[in-house]
This record gives sequence, structure tokens and C-alpha cells, in this order.
Amino acid sequence: MTAERLAQPAERFREAARRSLADGHRQAALDSGTERLLTGRLHAWGALDDAQGLRDRAREIRTRTIDELELHLATFTRSVEGLGGHVQVCSTPADACAYVTEVCGRADARLVAKSKSMATEEIGLNDALEAAGLRVVETDLGEYLIQLAGGHPEHIVAPAIDRTREDAAIALSAAGDRPVEPEMDQLMLAARRQLREVFRTADVGITGANFAVAETGSICLVTNEGNADLVTALPQVHVVILGMERLVPTLAELVPLVRLLGRSGTGEQLTTYTTLLTGPRREGERDGPEELHVVVLDNGRSKLRGTRYREMLNCIRCGACLNVCPIYRKTGGAAYGPVYSGPMGAVLVPLLTGLEHAPSLPHASSLCGACTDACPVGIPLHELLIDLRRDLVEQGVASRRERLALTLWSYAWSTSAGYRISTRLARLGLPLGGLAGPGRTWAAARALPRLARTRFRDRR
Amino acid sequence: MSELVDGFLANAEAAGCRTHLGAGSDLAELPTVRATYALADTGSVVFAPSAEQGRVDWLDAETLVALVPADRIVPGLDELFAAVRERMPSALTIVTGPSRTADIEQTLVVGVHGPRVLHVVVLEG
Repeated sequence: MTAERLAQPAERFREAARRSLADGHRQAALDSGTERLLTGRLHAWGALDDAQGLRDRAREIRTRTIDELELHLATFTRSVEGLGGHVQVCSTPADACAYVTEVCGRADARLVAKSKSMATEEIGLNDALEAAGLRVVETDLGEYLIQLAGGHPEHIVAPAIDRTREDAAIALSAAGDRPVEPEMDQLMLAARRQLREVFRTADVGITGANFAVAETGSICLVTNEGNADLVTALPQVHVVILGMERLVPTLAELVPLVRLLGRSGTGEQLTTYTTLLTGPRREGERDGPEELHVVVLDNGRSKLRGTRYREMLNCIRCGACLNVCPIYRKTGGAAYGPVYSGPMGAVLVPLLTGLEHAPSLPHASSLCGACTDACPVGIPLHELLIDLRRDLVEQGVASRRERLALTLWSYAWSTSAGYRISTRLARLGLPLGGLAGPGRTWAAARALPRLARTRFRDRR
Repeated sequence: MSELVDGFLANAEAAGCRTHLGAGSDLAELPTVRATYALADTGSVVFAPSAEQGRVDWLDAETLVALVPADRIVPGLDELFAAVRERMPSALTIVTGPSRTADIEQTLVVGVHGPRVLHVVVLEG
């Protein structure tokens, strides 16, 4: 199931990238969207006294927590259960979806309100719940528009980054009972009206978790819209899908992480709504869920611990690496598959789903290192991409033609005679329309350098 | 003390709130909630459920008034978490400015779900 959901075969990557590059409207939207997000981030980081110190501290907290994950998971479970909540560890998407479907069934649920969560996208939860006969409504504005119009999130933080106000007006007009003009205020009011009804009548609220605090059993959710708060205020049941790596041992250690998340994601000191939910509704309270279920999702995460890719588990899903990536800014999210995108996606997707299911993604990088510079927790993303490329060759996933080309190349250039012949051949080959054979696909998307008329070694 | 109040008011204003020192009669008719804490360094108001007010009360209104007792203003998140750690409420919501989104064309618009206008009133003494 994971493989099906996250998989991005080579031809789909190429096709999606080509379509994105040919779409001027989309290119303009991606350009301005990523530019705004990255300018906001630089501004917010510039206002910090000791940005590097905060980054080092965050990295240290993330690394240590993941090293001691069993301990913190046990503490977290004890804390949540002590408050009357339930914790269920699920190792596969199928397990997680089945558990959530069962919870909804027991609650006799018909309508599920959701707050944006990449973990639920990862496991294909909406499809599973809909297959069980439930109506599922996304309440983050961007996700709602995508759900109405069909499609997948294009960006892990700004899912509708490629859509315009005209697109939004069409979607909201069709969903409501009156036409909506493509004016920002009108769009907002229409979405507010349509989703209010969902918040009021939903039986179950589903959220992800930005972080979970072990010592208190708290789920930390951040949104600018406040939709996660509404999703967890009125429905009788709250289900959390928590990526197992998102634990933080203590409240004190949560502070640098939420500060970095707001600054790196959207350029804010603190995201507008930063909420800690600790257990279900208590005696005498007027609202909040009676029932709380936390699904701790593994789905390939625990097997990354102890490998050279373990630092990928430090990721806090801020999206900063997407906004600076010269590849993402051209291809958008679709090229990377339906869930994760940009440099973090190019590393994470092959790790979760297997290199053979996403063989193009390690190559979706110019290796410029802008992602590594932008990462608030210091993940060496471009180095991990190089490691994945090595794995592609070592595991025999790279295409036979690619391996043949590299073998011939290394063989030819290991002798001076071979090198001499290759440079002479290149001079013959170029005027004939570029590289031949396995190199042609590579050359088709690139401007090849012009060779000097006379080789340096032949000049007297 | 007054340094915290001044910092809170300035940062809340910068976050998009309408700030007031002392209750004004012109706000009397509006939906009102009481903040359990406030953060000076980000201008945030902090809400928690009680017998008197539910979670919906700080989310539902289009225009909301948050009352902040001056002695509940703490410097920032570190002090807030230190204060609540032993007795975490079932919901602790830290709100910095009005509800907003930039999901369409990355253009900031307020009030998509929560309040479009957030008044914060600091009550002294």
C-alpha cells in the first residue's frame, strides 16, 4: 500500500515535470508563491539574535529524541492513557487506516472533519474512510480547494500554491449554493460559511500532529487559520495521526521547535494558532472531544534509525527546502508524487517506499545545497541525495543503459588513449546533434557546452 | 511589570490585533473571552477552557475581545510552559493575531475560520 501511494515511477516524474514546465500560468504561480515564502523566512530569521544557536539546539533535541525514541514513546503513551486517551502504534498505512475506520464505525460517524495533515496523505486515509462510506471534508482552505477541484497538495505547507483566485472561485461556487466572485474577501466568506456547517455537524475530527510532548501527553498543532482548533472543539471524537518521529521529551524542548517551525514555514515568529491538546474533555468543560485516539505511525520510519539516513527523521515539515529548490520551483509538487515534494520529498519518499519505486527522485536536484542551508534542523539534504544516488547504482536500480554509460565512461577515461579518443569522438559527435545512445535522454534537457575547435593538447 | 505590558501591547498590535489599555465601553457589546496568560515577546493571548468558557468561544466570533489581566502577562513561551507544566489544561491555545490564511496566491487574508478582528484589552490592577 505504501508503495502504491508514494511511488513515483521515472516516466511519471518526467511527464509531470514536462507538463509543469510547459504551463506558463503554473510557472508564474510557483515563482511568486515560493518567492514570498522564502522572503518571509529570511526576514523572520534575520530578526533572530542567535539563529545558528537556535538551529543547533533544535538539531540536538531532534537527534537525541530519535536516538531515545522507545523511552519517549513509552512516556508519551503513559501520559495519554493516564488522561483517558488511547494510543495505538501502527506499522503500516493499512493498519492505521483500519484502526481509524474502526473508531469511526464505533462512533456511528457519517461526517469527518479534517485538519491538514501530510501523515494522513501519506497513508491515504481519506480514500480509506470514503471507501467505508464516510464523508470526509478537509478544512484547511488550501486543502479544501484541492479536495473540491480534485488533485493532490503541491506543497507541504501551502498545498494550493499553484492555484489562483479564479480557480478558487470556480471550486467554491460549485460547492456552495451561490456564485462566488474571485475577490479575496468573498472567497474567504464563502469558505467560512461552507466549512462552519462541517465543523458544527462532524462526528469525528482528524488531525495530524506537528509535535507531541512526552512528559505531558500533549499534541501540538499549529495553523494560521484556526481550523485544527475547530476540528478538535466540536466533534465528539478526536483522532490524531502522529508520525512517530515527532515526539519531543519536554515542554521546554518544544519551545525552540515551534519557534523555528513558524519562522521557517511562513516567516512568522509564531504560527497564529499554536495549540497544545492534552487528553480528552474534562469534567465540567463545555466542549472538546469525549474520546481521544492517537495513532502512532511508523510506516518505515523506525528502520531508518541507525542508518546514514537517520537525520531525515529530524525533519519538522516546514517546507523551507521546497521554496529554495531550483528544481521544485520549476516542477512543483506533482513531479515528486502525491504527498511529499521538494528536497525533503526527494530524500524521504525513496526511503519510505523503496528506491525502486521512486528512482528519479534522488536525481531531482542540482546539488546546489540551498536546501541544506535552509533547513532549520540542519539536515544535510543534498548529501543524502548523493548517498541515495550511490544506492541506486549499488542496488542495481539505475537503468541498465545508465550503468552501461557510466561503466564505459569510467573505462574510457582510465587510460590516456581512451581519453584522447573520447575527446576526438565528442568533436565528431556534437555537430551531428548531440550525444548518441544512452546519453541522449540526458542531453535532451540540457544545453551542452561548446567544445573548442582545436583541443588544447593539439595546440602548438 | 509595565515593561511586559508595553511589550505585549506593541507586539500584539504588530501581529494585527487592536489593542486597548483598560476596558473601553465601546467593546461592551462584543463577544468576550478571558485570556489565561499572554506573551509579551510575540503579543500572543493564551486561552484555556473553564466552566465559564469553551473552546468555541475564542474561535466562533467574527469580532472577538480578549481580556488580559496585566499580571498574567509573561515574557514568552518558556515562562508560559514553566507556569502550566504541572497542570496542563485539556486545551492551551496560543493565539497571535487574527485568524489568517495565505493559501490563495500566497496573499494574506484574515478571518477564514476564527476572528477577523481581535481586540485585546489589558486590565490593570
